[in-house]
This record gives sequence, structure tokens and C-alpha cells, in this order.
Amino acid sequence: MITARLWFTKTGEASYISLLDLQRVMQRALKRSGLPVWYTQGFNPHIYMTFSAPLALGQESLTESLDFRLAEEVNWTAACDTLNGCLPRGIRAVRVEEAKMDPSQIAAACYELSVSKEYAGKAREAFDAYNEAAQVIVVKEGKRGKKKELDLKQYAPVLDYKNKDGGLVVRLTLPAGNTFTVNPAMILTWLSENHGLESYRVQILRTGLQTAEGKAFV
Amino acid sequence: MDEALKAALSAVQKPGRYTGGEPGCVYKEKEKVSLRFAFCFPDTYEVGMSFLGMKILYEILNAREDIWCERCFMPWVDMRREMQQRGLPLYALESKDPLSEFDVIGFTLQYELSYTNILAMLDLAGLPLLCEERTDDMPIIVAGGPCACNSEPLTDFIDLFMLGEGEIQLPAVCDTIIAGRKAGLSKREILKNCAAIQGVYIPALYDVEYYEDGRVKEIRANEGAPMPIRKAIIEDMNTQPLPQNFVVPMIGAVHDRAQIEVLRGCVRGCRFCQAGFLYRPMRERDAALLSTAGKALCENTGYDEISLTSLSTSDHSDLETLLDDMLDWTQDEHVSMSLPSLRVDNFSQSLVEKISRVRKSGLTFAAEAGTQRLRDVINKNVTWEEIERTCKLAFGAGYTSVKLYFMMGLPTETMEDIEGIAETAQRIVDLYYANPDHPKGKGVQVSISVACFVPKPHTPFQFVPQDKPEVLREKQQHLLHSVKSRKISVSYHDSKTSFLEGVFAKGDRRLGKVLLEAYRRGCAFDGWEEHFLFETWMQVFEDLGVDPSFYVHRAIGLDEVTPWSHMDYGISHDYLVREYKKALDAKTTKPCNRACAGCGANQLLKGGVCFDYSKTVVHQNG
Repeated sequence: MITARLWFTKTGEASYISLLDLQRVMQRALKRSGLPVWYTQGFNPHIYMTFSAPLALGQESLTESLDFRLAEEVNWTAACDTLNGCLPRGIRAVRVEEAKMDPSQIAAACYELSVSKEYAGKAREAFDAYNEAAQVIVVKEGKRGKKKELDLKQYAPVLDYKNKDGGLVVRLTLPAGNTFTVNPAMILTWLSENHGLESYRVQILRTGLQTAEGKAFV
Repeated sequence: MDEALKAALSAVQKPGRYTGGEPGCVYKEKEKVSLRFAFCFPDTYEVGMSFLGMKILYEILNAREDIWCERCFMPWVDMRREMQQRGLPLYALESKDPLSEFDVIGFTLQYELSYTNILAMLDLAGLPLLCEERTDDMPIIVAGGPCACNSEPLTDFIDLFMLGEGEIQLPAVCDTIIAGRKAGLSKREILKNCAAIQGVYIPALYDVEYYEDGRVKEIRANEGAPMPIRKAIIEDMNTQPLPQNFVVPMIGAVHDRAQIEVLRGCVRGCRFCQAGFLYRPMRERDAALLSTAGKALCENTGYDEISLTSLSTSDHSDLETLLDDMLDWTQDEHVSMSLPSLRVDNFSQSLVEKISRVRKSGLTFAAEAGTQRLRDVINKNVTWEEIERTCKLAFGAGYTSVKLYFMMGLPTETMEDIEGIAETAQRIVDLYYANPDHPKGKGVQVSISVACFVPKPHTPFQFVPQDKPEVLREKQQHLLHSVKSRKISVSYHDSKTSFLEGVFAKGDRRLGKVLLEAYRRGCAFDGWEEHFLFETWMQVFEDLGVDPSFYVHRAIGLDEVTPWSHMDYGISHDYLVREYKKALDAKTTKPCNRACAGCGANQLLKGGVCFDYSKTVVHQNG
């Protein structure tokens, strides 16, 4: 048995489906693909799937990964092409390969926050306000509904915005993974509550996953 | 995706309802098609995406190079508000283009209480609601589906109705519209040309005259429009390929599985069942065709569950072959099979075994009435012995829960019949414990679900007055008091929604203004209890001087002209009267594949023969 890792993008229309929906979509795509996918052996056999670092609803990503098992070897390139034929247009298979690292090694994720030209002025003001604040305290709801205060400044000291095509782009690396995750949407929520940012105007795109040592997760 | 739409999506629950982009979506270049069709389902995405009819017609229309059919659903309350506030017009999911850019907007009429949603969708699309206010350059609004069998309450809003089955009829309507638009004809002329297509009803071509007391005096056809309008029908189901692909919802739909329609129509003749009369005669598809199509559908969609759908799947004359064929591949391909419409009386040992090899879910029986007398009245030819036999088989096979569907408010019903519902459930509980093989340490759960009977057009009970809400509530209370065991749970429907359903089911053209005013006062999603504004509806009726009781609480004379008497579903009026009289005498009628009762539907088929009576086509008991 081989643990395969599918790298895929989730953009546009597909950014509006939840993790539960994505599971359904992937399960059906794997089934349609005709790949020798391994099924669990219980009373109710199903495809074994693991998503590493699930993405929040409404965010886009270039580097989502899904692990599943294959009963036999396949041609990775062909498998990738086949899966693309079975996936909706908002989800594109980028690469299929044998999984190397364990998803538990994921410790951080990289994001790009981008703002269009039309909204750049307003967004710049809001980002400046963040950068000038001594603390950015938000309440994070953890597992089992436990609430905890966080200072976002600890994780994103500055929103270092750059000009891009007349708009703005901010690159951030934030904790992500099994134990602790900081969702970039928390920054936008704080900005919208305190500085009138219309958060839907800031597009969040995940661009990479990292280990604790800052190496790319593969 | 434009900014306003993104903003709206960021503010609502389940944005995936409004984005489209599902596997199986059809995209075309709009410049390259002659006709753009928006298939509208006037309820939520999850409900609409469960509907097989939409999948059938979506595939048929999109198979045509010159037509692009897209989907549109009623946005839920939160999205509707966002769209109104942001000035976002209602759009189709595939192209995201506003509905006003389409050539044809088609609604499916599945349920009377979704009528206000039709107005809401037209309004959200920025289109005038009334036919007469829409100009020739605007989309033509069409509608089909079961409720088209009495389309009168909607005639102010819909330009064209389609009676019967749409597989051939709908493309024909599209062709006529394409030709008419190319020739520069007016909407009126195009509609007139469509009236020549079987089952097409253009309300503007008919006049209705009323007596002073509100009854219909006469319905007249003008300008050569057909009288009556005879429904469209697919004579041989084997000529109609099953859908090879579905748009597969990414967010869960109510029925999120592959479906194959094993047969259309029903042989049973249950007198309350409108579908049983609208889709006559019963026509099957061959087992081999079904199994092959089901396999292809699962391969194309990736579904791991397939449902054999119809009004009465176990009446398929070759069901066991079908199940064997299906089991051949479903088990290897990790696909589970479900049979939603099974009847108690032909549930054989081998059938139970085949189903339980697939998946053990609950057992569901539509017993419909609590006593044999009343079951005979409604022609639900199910006996206690059959229920007993089936439950014994099922309990022996390890089933522990039974769901029973009943109705209340049936003609001739007494409190004794209501008590009979509780007794039936109790006897099933007793059966379970009497069975030495019942799973040890496990109790039985019998759930009773009771709907309020709504008399419907084109059925023998169309003449019958509906029980008043206070009577139904009394019966519901009586049922609750009659249930003694904690193994039995009871749920029932709201009598007020059933009342309004009855009004619109049997209503006439004068209800158009009521519908419009109710919509203006905020009524929408009437089928959703939390949004149903009963008091508003009643106030509208009062303010407009329309008595809703007239439509439902009055017995309709056997010789009366009904508002739907110009709509011909192949069932003769005499037959309905005959069946009605037999019902009052508690006399049953045999299923039509055993003996022809002469309903008239055979005339819909060339040759006039529904069944080959020399073959044994009904499963025998035991």
C-alpha cells in the first residue's frame, strides 16, 4: 500500500465549499478516476482520506494537500491528469506523488492577502492602524468551545504591504497545523471591527505550508 | 466573480449554494447558442438539486448545440436580503448572468406552497411579475411539473404551461421560440404557435366565465387553441435514455445520490394520490437498460449510492432481475443501493434479503389509513396480514425500526379510524417482541408520521371537501391520546399549511391577485414552517374579498365545471366519478396491470393497450 499525496488548488467558486463538502467532492473524484484507491476494510468500506491543514471557507489556496492510499503503484503524471478530468473547475490537481512528510509536521502556512486598486487606499489606512497598534487582542475559539485571548502581533508583527498592479499585497506566515493555527481572517475581522475594513475586499490566498524548521512541507 | 457577489457570499450561510461550479456543470459560449434557458426551482438549492426532473431536462436541453440550459434556485432568506440590498439581480449558476438576459425562464411546479417563491424569483430578477407587463424583448416565462395540472392560480404570471412529460415537449417549445424570435414574431404570436404542441397551455388564449356564487360557468378556448389540452406523454420509456450524468452538488443536497427512474406512473390507483393519476399509464424501463444506465451514471458522477426511483418501484414486473443485475456491479464498485418506494404487499422474502445485503436502513411503509375500511375507501389495497407478514420478515432479518406513513382527514374518516393508526403501530410493536429471533437487547422503534389529506385535482377525491384545520387538530390530539407505548413516536403536519396547499391546488384564476398581494406583504418560503405567515395570508384573503374556504371546504358537484376541467390527463371524468362513488361504498379497484378499470389513459398510447394481460406482471403474495 502506498500513501499518495494529491496537491491541488482551491480557488474561485470552490473556495466557498467547506471541508465537509470538499471531502465529498474528493471522494467522488477519486471514485470516478478509476485509480486503484484503497478502501477501508470494515463493514462499510470507504476511501481513506486525510486533508492536511484544512482551509477556512472563502479562502483560496495554491497548495492544498490530500492524502489517500493506493493499493498498487500508478504513473503519477497520468494519475494527476485523470484526477483533473474528475474535479470541478475550481479545484485543479497540480501533482500527485508519494507522501514524504507526515502532515503532523506542518507548523506554519504562508498567505498572500491582496487588495484591488479600487480599495487600496482604504486598506492601506487599516493596515497602518494595525501596524501602529501596540497589541491586537482577539478571542480565539479553540477546540470544545474554549475561548482564549490572543495577541495577533505576536504572530504577525507588521502587515508589510507592497504595491502590486496598483493594489496591495501582504505576505504573511502564520502558525498552522494540528496543535495551533492562526487564521489570517482573524486579522481582517479585527480590522473590520476596529477600523472599518470591508474584509471581503481582501482576498486571502494560501501559498505554502511549512514545517517548524521553516522548510517547505512536501 | 464580481465584487458585489463576493460581498454577498461573504455575508451568508452556505455560500456554496450560490456559486455553481459543481462537477457535471455545462458551460457554453452564450454567443454561439440560439436560446438560453434558465431552469428555475422555486425552493432552496438543496431541495432543487435533489429533483430528478431537472437533471433529465438539463441533459436533454444541453445535448442540443443551440440551447444552453442553466440552473437557478430560490436564494435563502439571508442571500435574498443581501442581493436586494446590494442590487444584485437573480442570476443563473453556470454563467452568473442575470435571468433577465435569458430567452426563456422555466419554473418547475412541484408544490403549491412554492408559488410565492416564483414571484420572489421573478422580482429578484428585476422582471415585471405580470405577463401583461412584460414586453416582447423580455424572457418568456414557462412552467411545468405536477402542479401545472391546475395552473389557474398562476395564469397572471406565467406565459406558457406544459402539461405532462417534458422530454419531447420542452425541446419542441424551445424550437418554436427560436423560430419565432428569428422571424421577429411578437410574444403573443410565438405563444400562439406553441399552443399547437401537445400539452402546451397558453392561459391568454382561454376565457373563464364564473357564476355569481364563484363556481366556474364555462371555459372557452380562443384563436384555435386546443380544448381540452391533452398532456404530453412518452409512450415507450425505453426510447428515452436515462441521464448519463448529473450535476453533482458539492454541498450536500437532500437526496444526494444517483437516481434511475425504473418506471413512470403507477398501477395502484390509490384514490388520494394525484401523481398516480397524472402519470398514467404506468410504463416500465427494461431491467438491463436500467442497470447499464445506473452503472454509467455512477461512473460519471462518482456517487456511491444509487436509488431506484419511481412511484412504486416494487411494481416493476422484472424487479428481481433488476436487483440481481444491479448487485452484480454495485458491490464490486462500493455502491450501495436504495429502494425508496416499496409496497407492503409485494415485499417478498428474497426481496428483503437482496435489500439487506446492500444496506440496513429503516423500513418504511405507507399504510395511509388506520383501518381496513378506510384503506378500502382510499383504495390503498394493503391488509393488516400483509403488514404483519412483511414486518415478521423484516424483524427476522434484523430490522429494529419501522416508519409508518398515514394521512388524516380522509373522506368518511371517523375517530375510530384515527384510533386504528395507534392500534396498527401497537400491533407492530407487539409483533416485534413476539418474534423469538428479534435482536437481543434491542428495542423496536415505530414512528408514525401523519400528513393532513389535501384533496387534489384529477383524482376521485377532487370532489371532497377538505377537513377544517380545527377538525384536523382535534384528530391529531385524539391520536396522541390513543398512543400508549413509548416505543411509538408520532409526528404530524401543520394543518394550516395543508389548508393553503388545498386552496392553491383547487384554486382558480381569481387567486392570482391574492398570491401577488401575499407576496407583496412578505410571504415567501410558505412551505417552510418558520417562514409561513398564515395570518398574513388570511388577512389578504379578507382584504381582497376572496373566500379561501370556497375552494377547499365545499363539496364540488359531480357535474360541476372545475377550474381545471380544460386540462386533460387522459383520465375520464366518468371514471373519477365512478371511483368516487366506489370509495364511498368502501369498494376497492384492482391495480391496472391486473384488471383494466377503464380510466381512459390507454387512449394516450397508440394502440390503446397499457399492459399485456397474458403475462403475470404483478408480484404475487408470499
